[in-house]
Amino acid sequence: MKIEGKAMQVTVKRTGGFTGIPLTKTVDSATLPQQEAILLHQMMAAADFFKLPSTIPFTPQPDRFQYQITVEQEGKQHGVMFGETAVPASLKPLLNWLMAQPAQPIND
Amino acid sequence: MISSQNKSKKTKSHLKEGPHICPICCILPPHMIDHIIKHGDEKMRTWVMETMRRSEQFRGRREVIGNLALAPSTGQKRRTVYDARKGERLPGRLVRSEGGRKSRDVAVNEAYDGSGATYDLFHEVFERNSIDDRGLRLDSTVHYGVQYDNAFWNGNQMVYGDGDGRLFNRFTIAIDVIGHELTHGVVQYEAGLVYEGESGALNESFADVFGSLVKQRSLNQTADQADWLIGGGLLASGVNGVALRSLKAPGTAYDDPMLGRDPQPALYSNRYTGPQDGGGVHINSGIPNHAFYLAAMEVGGFAWEKIGKIWYITLRDVLRSTATFKGAADATISVAGDIYGQSGNEQTAVRKAWEAVGVI
Ligand SMILES: [Zn+2]
Repeated sequence: MKIEGKAMQVTVKRTGGFTGIPLTKTVDSATLPQQEAILLHQMMAAADFFKLPSTIPFTPQPDRFQYQITVEQEGKQHGVMFGETAVPASLKPLLNWLMAQPAQPIND
Repeated sequence: MISSQNKSKKTKSHLKEGPHICPICCILPPHMIDHIIKHGDEKMRTWVMETMRRSEQFRGRREVIGNLALAPSTGQKRRTVYDARKGERLPGRLVRSEGGRKSRDVAVNEAYDGSGATYDLFHEVFERNSIDDRGLRLDSTVHYGVQYDNAFWNGNQMVYGDGDGRLFNRFTIAIDVIGHELTHGVVQYEAGLVYEGESGALNESFADVFGSLVKQRSLNQTADQADWLIGGGLLASGVNGVALRSLKAPGTAYDDPMLGRDPQPALYSNRYTGPQDGGGVHINSGIPNHAFYLAAMEVGGFAWEKIGKIWYITLRDVLRSTATFKGAADATISVAGDIYGQSGNEQTAVRKAWEAVGVI
């Protein structure tokens, strides 16, 4: 089995914005329909996620969103933080897909 | 190679111009010169201009300032509204400009009317000519993105999303949101408060304060009649809450399973110190927001008249880009004394307000 085929948990946390209300979405590839799981693995590989820096620099603008994507796979964990104004092209498909997932109620 | 040679030549010729010594600069730092030219009376402006003119060494700078002083100041509102048609390209398609016919699109009219009301507050009450005080055109884009739950100021214009409809309605629905975004522009041209930590929370707070004043003035409300909410009507039906923030009672605007609970503190001792949202710029703004509310209630009447003026002058003339809450408190107290007298009602109200929120 290829390493990128192993189950992963992906979380996106959006903060900032005019509302200042954070939004978190978490996806576990093990519980996704197969097609979606494959797509997720492909997007992760395309972004070369584990090699991205933990912070991608951006100039703050009033009321813009910031995103933190965190991935856990096989005990490895990596997080990448970036601003709405500087979303890396390689991360755009993953971000859009994650943001389209159903939101969970806030519990923290 | 060519470009690096050019660069070194440029540096050399620049060096030849000699050190920056200027009679007027020795008396006044450059920011103050700019200030006098922007805000000083005719006599002060003439004096500054005359001194600059005599200083041959400062040709470049004099020209910059000369242009600034001579640039036509329209003293008129100029508004344009664009439609991004759910895309993210700015500004989008022009749909209404100054004096143009009302649109059938409610968001277009709200953006137009709201930016007009904001211009009027700054112009009629604070004698400020638009965001930059030089008649800058007010550009707004509506229908930005798909179900975009946000509004922002991008350094040049206002941008409004439609909301997702389930949690948030369209962002132009609340006039204080429009006033908030435009005030970010004013802050950018004045104190330039760095959007992080306490200066960032002050940036947010000035935006909320003047946003609320735009609403209060449009409704002709005194401090005790106002709701002091930011984003009233913005939460979709079914969401448990009245607005996004409350200057009157920070931390009470909403409490909902999907949105969580309004996290704003009113007291400095309860401030957020974590890393999110630039160190909680939308959280800790509750502290200076509440100080403004308390001072305005203590003085009474229309909040924009006295406490609003104190806050405006502080933003325009006193605060630096890295100001802290304590610095803002001291500055507003000092400005209150300058305008309304030392130990007068106004200064006492401002001091008591900052004490009540635990900043001083
Ligand atoms: Zn803001």
